[in-house]
Amino acid sequence: MSIIKDEVYKFFAQYIYQNTGMVYAPNEYYRLDSRINDLVKFLNVKTVDEVYQMYRGAISPDMRAILINISTNNETYFFRDGKPFTILCKNVLTELVTLYPTGSLNIWSAASSTGQEAYSILMSIKNSLPEDVFQRIFISGSDISTQALKKATDGVYTGLEVQRGLPIQLLMKFFNQTGPELWKIDQSLTSKVKFYEFNLLTGHYPKDQYHIVFCRNVLIYQDNDNKKNILDKIYDSLKPGGYMFLGTGESLIGIQSKFERISFDGGAVYKKV
Amino acid sequence: MNILVVDDSRAIYAMVSQMLETGGHKSVWAEDGLKAIEVLKNPALKIDVILLDWNMPNMNGPEFLEANLKDKFTLAPIVMMTTENSPEYIKKALSLNAAEYIMKPFTSDILFNKLSLIEMMI
Repeated sequence: MSIIKDEVYKFFAQYIYQNTGMVYAPNEYYRLDSRINDLVKFLNVKTVDEVYQMYRGAISPDMRAILINISTNNETYFFRDGKPFTILCKNVLTELVTLYPTGSLNIWSAASSTGQEAYSILMSIKNSLPEDVFQRIFISGSDISTQALKKATDGVYTGLEVQRGLPIQLLMKFFNQTGPELWKIDQSLTSKVKFYEFNLLTGHYPKDQYHIVFCRNVLIYQDNDNKKNILDKIYDSLKPGGYMFLGTGESLIGIQSKFERISFDGGAVYKKV
Repeated sequence: MNILVVDDSRAIYAMVSQMLETGGHKSVWAEDGLKAIEVLKNPALKIDVILLDWNMPNMNGPEFLEANLKDKFTLAPIVMMTTENSPEYIKKALSLNAAEYIMKPFTSDILFNKLSLIEMMI
């Protein structure tokens, strides 16, 4: 591994920032070491300086792609964990449509982040259930990050983001390209969801409001008292017979709650009985 | 899985083959569509998936897809992997029987996610 000059770090940090928005501050330049050395290997040159000179010159689309590929990491996915969306359409909604044959079907994406979960729910329903069921669906998406909420409301995602979890056929069906690297989700979906700021610990929960709540990968970050507090409030916010989805790997083991655990092929959900 | 990477960029192949290796896959490289056909004729190499660039000399990605539609030299799912990312290009590739589409730039998690979508189809 070669010693990398500050000037080289600065150049690549700037390039990555301009192309991805990811920040490498000077005290984090060491995190670029393995990435810059990967470039030496992939571009089949001998030194970091050669790579630096190549990137300072005319950059081909492939060279740009390689640098961005190795610089970014993101955990937000469309259809994260897959199975919950199948269970939602195949089991949960089929039952709730019978239990509640008229009126809106309210789904809460309780930690909606940048919106991928809410839009995945809508795409699943639109793709696999009758249109009259889709028409009845309304989604509330909440998060504590206003930045995430703005992105969710805009429904505009980068090329990298739309490739995380989204089959290409669904990209073609539900998104419009609005720039070389930008894709906007179709208005037929954005019109079915409203995003708003909400703190799960301190927020005021509505009573008997939702038929389904998605609260995935949130409780793992909470201590047991907070978990119980949130679960009790979600329980009260559900309509009778309503369902809650937790993240894969999350369970209510060791926590007192009124939910009944129901197993379906591919995973468990929690029912208000 | 055994994966044939068809791309005229040695650097892209170096990166993709390393990604595939970390995911437990093996890869073979062909620099264009014609060389890919040669690779596919080798019965010793059982190719499970093909990653196919769009722009290449001799035989480009869509020409390879068209040739395969006509001559059926492979039944392996074909995933486009290209900087061409407009809907027109994507629709054309899908109409020529591409199973998935990876837009460059991409990350290793995207590559593995697309491969797992493909594995579900196989």
